[in-house]
Amino acid sequence: MNNRRGFLKGGSLALIALGMGGVPNFVKAAVAQQKTTSRKKVLVCIFQRGAMDGLMAVSPYTDPYLKKSRPGIFMEPGVGKSLIDLNGKFGLHPSFKSFENLYKSSKLAIIHGMGSPNKTRSHFDAQDYMESGTPFKKGTDSGWLNRALVQKKQSDSVFQGVSLTSSLPRSFYGEYPCLAVSNFNDFRISTKAGKALNVSAATSFEELYDITANELQKQTSRESFEAKRMVEKLNFKNYNPANGAVYPGSPLGNSLKQIAQLIKSDVGLEIAFAESTGWDTHFNQGTEAGIFARNADDLSRSVTAMWHDIANFQDDVVIMTMTEFGRTVKQNGTNGTDHGRASCSFIIGNDVSGGKVYEKMKDLSIENLEDGRDLPVTIDFREVFNEVAFKHLKVTDTSKLFPEWGGKNLPFIV
Amino acid sequence: MKHTSILVISFLMLSATAFFSQKTTDKFPYKDAGLTERQAAEHLLSRFTFGVRQGDIDAAVNMGLEKWFSQQLQGNISDQDVDKRLESYTALRMSNQQIVEQFPLGAQLRNRAIKDGLIDKNNVGDDKSKLNEVYKQLSAKYGIQHAKELERQTVNQKVIRAIYSKNQLHEVLTDFWFNHFNVFMGKNQSTQFVMAYERDAIRPNVTNKFKDLLMATTRSPAMLTYLDNFLSSKEDDFESGPKMKNNKRPKGLNENYAREIMELHTLGVDGGYTQADVLNAAKILTGWTIYPMRRKGEENKIANLLDKIGEDRLASRGFIHEGDFLFASTRHESGTKMVLGKVYDQGGYAEGVALLNDLASHASTAQFICKKIATRFVSDEPDQKLVNIMTKTFTETDGDISKVLLTMVSSLEFWNGNSLRQKTKSPFEYAISAVRSLNADVKFPMPLANWITKMGQKVYYYQAPTGFPDKGQYWINTGSLLNRMNFGLDLAGRKIGGIQFDIEGLLDHKEPESARDAIDKYAHIMLPERNTESTVSRLMPLVSDPDFSEKVVKANKNNKNNNDYIEEDAITTDLMTQNNQTLAQVIGILIGSPEFQRK
Repeated sequence: MNNRRGFLKGGSLALIALGMGGVPNFVKAAVAQQKTTSRKKVLVCIFQRGAMDGLMAVSPYTDPYLKKSRPGIFMEPGVGKSLIDLNGKFGLHPSFKSFENLYKSSKLAIIHGMGSPNKTRSHFDAQDYMESGTPFKKGTDSGWLNRALVQKKQSDSVFQGVSLTSSLPRSFYGEYPCLAVSNFNDFRISTKAGKALNVSAATSFEELYDITANELQKQTSRESFEAKRMVEKLNFKNYNPANGAVYPGSPLGNSLKQIAQLIKSDVGLEIAFAESTGWDTHFNQGTEAGIFARNADDLSRSVTAMWHDIANFQDDVVIMTMTEFGRTVKQNGTNGTDHGRASCSFIIGNDVSGGKVYEKMKDLSIENLEDGRDLPVTIDFREVFNEVAFKHLKVTDTSKLFPEWGGKNLPFIV
Repeated sequence: MKHTSILVISFLMLSATAFFSQKTTDKFPYKDAGLTERQAAEHLLSRFTFGVRQGDIDAAVNMGLEKWFSQQLQGNISDQDVDKRLESYTALRMSNQQIVEQFPLGAQLRNRAIKDGLIDKNNVGDDKSKLNEVYKQLSAKYGIQHAKELERQTVNQKVIRAIYSKNQLHEVLTDFWFNHFNVFMGKNQSTQFVMAYERDAIRPNVTNKFKDLLMATTRSPAMLTYLDNFLSSKEDDFESGPKMKNNKRPKGLNENYAREIMELHTLGVDGGYTQADVLNAAKILTGWTIYPMRRKGEENKIANLLDKIGEDRLASRGFIHEGDFLFASTRHESGTKMVLGKVYDQGGYAEGVALLNDLASHASTAQFICKKIATRFVSDEPDQKLVNIMTKTFTETDGDISKVLLTMVSSLEFWNGNSLRQKTKSPFEYAISAVRSLNADVKFPMPLANWITKMGQKVYYYQAPTGFPDKGQYWINTGSLLNRMNFGLDLAGRKIGGIQFDIEGLLDHKEPESARDAIDKYAHIMLPERNTESTVSRLMPLVSDPDFSEKVVKANKNNKNNNDYIEEDAITTDLMTQNNQTLAQVIGILIGSPEFQRK
């Protein structure tokens, strides 16, 4: 990052820190500009694979049909009860407890009844459509997040789009180069042969790639070694989160911790992607305890830890969860729920108009359900994704993000 | 007498030679491109095999490049080594029906366990080790295996064939056509069908007519499930047919396959079709589905019903049952349809066959397919002139893939500087070529396959129907390049399980004369017929200066004084003092070098 931007920033801030009077105007101007133009807005997407039961996460507990349909897994608020009442109509599952304060302080918006217009109840198809952003077209070769990066201005950062997964998620498929790293500790020249060997091998590789006539290889290797040095400097292994944030030791916790480090070190991150798994709760979904509760606890504590960890950067960041579909209103024969339609999404940010459940839900009587069984989709996921892309990421031409779609954004970002 | 007979024999031989050389192709024009025969052999082998092994160039030159190519196009060299290596992969010899019985998916196993009372339906839990125990009991009881085992066999057989097959061109083409007609193993039942898809729909047709491939993939259970056509039925079919449990499956027309067959498999996205064409093609293909398959120990009502009706009566009602394929006339949308300006009113199955043949021979298809072939085998941006002459062959031969390939290899464009070393190896090609160049014995392919995944190519797991992009930029990126380097070091350092090789054996156990000589020789083996001068000179310090790596460590330490990434003990304990470790490093760097990433 020895570019002009880095120098200006480091230099000017150092001058101010030393308390030197008479800071030249051009430095002031540079610093001022810095704030508005160069600090990037960041979107952190968390895909909840397996289809989260939105009716359990944020439960319309006053609905009599819901209570009747879920004798084994229905929850409600009140004395001796565990559901966290949000607004007299919806209650938050107790394992999302750490979201309660974010909701109360209006940082967290909940979008309910969200899903895809395509009625497929196949995990694969629904995830595919949500990530490609084209719910009626399989062959779209790129993902909506990649198209968002294409629309953004070119940046010299290799960390612009980062997925904390072993391979690129469908959302990141496409022409814009994105980075998929399951763990930044592995982002180095590293063999089991020993450290000294690694260092000399790294030197040899760097030289060889630097003299190659192939431009793609030469350029990519320069970026790789640059990124490698930066990752070494960031020292992911010995990272101490700020503000006493404690991440769960789960894969998701580790992913979000690394994303927080990237955000805080200002390396040019704009879109980050992570995964939360295990939401396909056909069996023993549980209530206060059980599979759902464990997943919810992991998700909410990971997200909250990250939010506290990045305290000084919160103005720049929006965190958004998504899941391919919801689950049946009725519980099934094994105390679980089967594949349904709409679910809900959590969106956190300082520019989010939070403390509110955005929804267009009717009561859950059979005639209001899709195919007589599922919470219907009343908010198209594109209304939500497009709002985040346009308002937060400042993607001005969003027509390429969701080309088949002509709807209106759901307004929930200031 | 003697003389005469010798004369006669030699005359016969001469005429036979003349006849033969006329029948085979003209000489490949590599000389016009300024290549020697050996350089040409290296180029040809690097494009049509999974990597050049020691001795391959000699063998191809001795045989003649043209003859080598035509033999590879035939692809019928008997191959006991590969047969033996694949012996233990039982699924390779099973039909889809047998596979469905033998390798139930995880969710199916769980349901079975509940039915059999091995786990309580109210207390399934997500304790993996307990579930695995239950699955073991189930496997023993029914003689079945988890679908994960099928997946392992499918991946392993691909790796083994790529490394060892004598019919390399057919393996390369199997990889190419599978990717063109991509299916994804992660989608429900596709897991069970991928093995037979590659074996029965792709591999036997890789050098046939393009329409053969198209027909075979369209009718294959893997494609029918992956792109949903098995569900597609006439619009008013909401109530007919057996009711699905929970009304899970949407009834009616499904356009997915009809769209992708035009956009990705035949015409190409700019091939001149409209939404109306997609809709009508979908209607034509309604009723093209899978013959129901039975799971072990479970009733299948639809299969029972079809059995009861009997083949004869099914046939008389317009059903077609061939292997796994079923044309269900009751689900077929009747009426006249128009696609790309042509009327289809044959009715029933014949309509689809006519459509597929028309799509396969369409002018847009010829262009699209030829460009894709040229992109794979010549360069990321193939010369339009080359694509045009290939297209001409495609059109004149009714889409004969062998002829198209021959046209391509006989063109100057295949051999010139715009082609030579311009293609980037995919992670799969890279890993396989490295193993081949070391002449390694791969006993257990999975660790190697895991590395290929780590470098960005999980085989059989590309989610989108487009298949893996065939462009250097896709494979060489910031995330993957360091992994490629690490792979070279780990492979040469014997840190990847299941692989054995003999470094000294590569030099025939002849002691190299000097360090320089050693590097030269290995560079020659790994990168034959290439100019390795600059690569070799960069590697010299590694071997000529025994303290080199120590110096590097110290230099790094001094440069980054607050860097705790290199720990103290690294210098004293990890230093490579043995020659073979140095040698392994040199070979590892050769494998990870920029030259070796290209083919």
